[in-house]
Amino acid sequence: MTKEEALEALSSIFAEVLDEKDIELDYQMTANDVDRWDSITNMTIISEIESRFNIKLKLREIIKLKNVGALCDAIVSKSK
Amino acid sequence: MFNNLIISTLQFSLEKYGERNAFCIEGEYYSYARLKKKIAAVRKVLHNVSEENIGLVANDDLDTYASILAVWMEGKCYVPLHPGQPLDRCMDIIAQVEIMTILDSSESTRYRYNNVIKTSTLSDEDKQISPQEQADSSLAYILFTSGSTGRPKGVPISRGNVAAFVDSVEKLGITLKPEDRCLQMFDLTFDLSVQSYLLPLLAGACVYTVSYKEIKYQAVFALLDEYHITAALMVPSVIHSLRPYMEEISIPEMRYSLFCGEALNIDDAKAWYECVPNANVWNMYGPTECTIYCTAYRMRVFCADKQTNGNVCIGKAMPGVKTIVIDDKCIPCTTGVKGELCLAGAQLTQGYWNDEKKNNEAFFVADDGTRYYRTGDICACDALGDIEYYGRKDSQVKVNGYRVELSEIECVARKYYDGKKAVVAVVTDRGSGNTIKMAVEQAEGNNGFELKSFLQSKLPSYMIPREIHFLKKFPQNTNNKIDRKLIKEIIG
Repeated sequence: MTKEEALEALSSIFAEVLDEKDIELDYQMTANDVDRWDSITNMTIISEIESRFNIKLKLREIIKLKNVGALCDAIVSKSK
Repeated sequence: MFNNLIISTLQFSLEKYGERNAFCIEGEYYSYARLKKKIAAVRKVLHNVSEENIGLVANDDLDTYASILAVWMEGKCYVPLHPGQPLDRCMDIIAQVEIMTILDSSESTRYRYNNVIKTSTLSDEDKQISPQEQADSSLAYILFTSGSTGRPKGVPISRGNVAAFVDSVEKLGITLKPEDRCLQMFDLTFDLSVQSYLLPLLAGACVYTVSYKEIKYQAVFALLDEYHITAALMVPSVIHSLRPYMEEISIPEMRYSLFCGEALNIDDAKAWYECVPNANVWNMYGPTECTIYCTAYRMRVFCADKQTNGNVCIGKAMPGVKTIVIDDKCIPCTTGVKGELCLAGAQLTQGYWNDEKKNNEAFFVADDGTRYYRTGDICACDALGDIEYYGRKDSQVKVNGYRVELSEIECVARKYYDGKKAVVAVVTDRGSGNTIKMAVEQAEGNNGFELKSFLQSKLPSYMIPREIHFLKKFPQNTNNKIDRKLIKEIIG
């Protein structure tokens, strides 16, 4: 999987979880830039990612993911 | 009491622990010596301000924490204004308290029409002046909570209230020492923040803060994990969110692990014990009106804890606090009978800010002359005097520990429709915590985008409904009232 593919998949997860069909993510975005990307939705987003890519993220890894780009990198490296 | 118990003790910490760290904010340490100079700098400017109630932009930095202590040492009261909440809401608070002066550490301020003191531009001050003496009846802070009439309502807490709280916590046997590393995960607009910064500073310990901008449970985990925090007050939703990751968490250094702000789930608590094997775990309870928390239950860890419907018991009144459970006729309930929990004692507020009507509803004087506050919480006392929590009397709910009146959200939404549409807000929980949803009757269903933007301009983010549903007609119950239960089933 490429980083671009990860971003695309992530966009659809965000759109679904945050109930915003037209959401556009880019690599630099953080929880601060996205409405309602908060504690509760973040849990749902992470568990969606884990089930869709069949990966498991440790909390120590999750807290280092400072933006969408880092999240994509983690998905790419874990899915290998 | 406040002068001795709080101000003198703070002065002592500032003098004695100069080289020790007072704060760790965003990974950077600030010593007591540095804090002392910053307090002196803010006091120098504040000294010329005549009014008592000072607005404080609740940022997460040393300037802001120093400002709180400076306000208190000047004998004044702070009113926190949340930098992440809509300006409209903050302006409402400013208008209600008639605030003229605002302490703001932000790079550029949102407040153009007030006397703004930019605390981040003040240089450290070496010259120390002695604190202003002030009576215990004067105010320490005013916090605003969700109000059912669509406007936030002010809860003034006096210096005597704060001192009574500190005294009571100490009498419970919860005592910090200079070596402690303490968590402060709360926004300064939430009174649990007061215990989280104040108790450590009184002991000369270090406060590790979480910014309002961060995803709380992750930021909390990062601090616990990196700094091996020894004392933490948290809302239960934090450990609920951490449940899937508990095997990664091990903090044997934790001495005190306190919970407050919402019901503590017994299974979450049991799983948490494993992460903090050496900690005293306490479940606290209390509304803002009774200063931070006012009942306490020490969890037993090795034998069964008291619980109701999976929620841990909220324990007994803390020293100096009185509790009674009353029925609809204001008569005290017997053991085991459910009723409304009422609170009295030295921690109780003198009443809502400029709201006689609300005060008459919420406070009453019992036959023995004791002034009680009706919490709206349904509770029962067991044979040993421990209080079990059952739920709310009204439409107040907790979202991530924040107190939310569903009727306040409805009130604002009705304003958007000029009062012409019926709206209902409900709260649902599918396992990941409370979620607010809203239903609107007979309106254009444009995804609710415009309504949502309107709500966002008036309400803090935790009060914004996650979903808005448009229903042709609201179902009614047999009394021809809107059937909230059925609406909840339809949209929940």
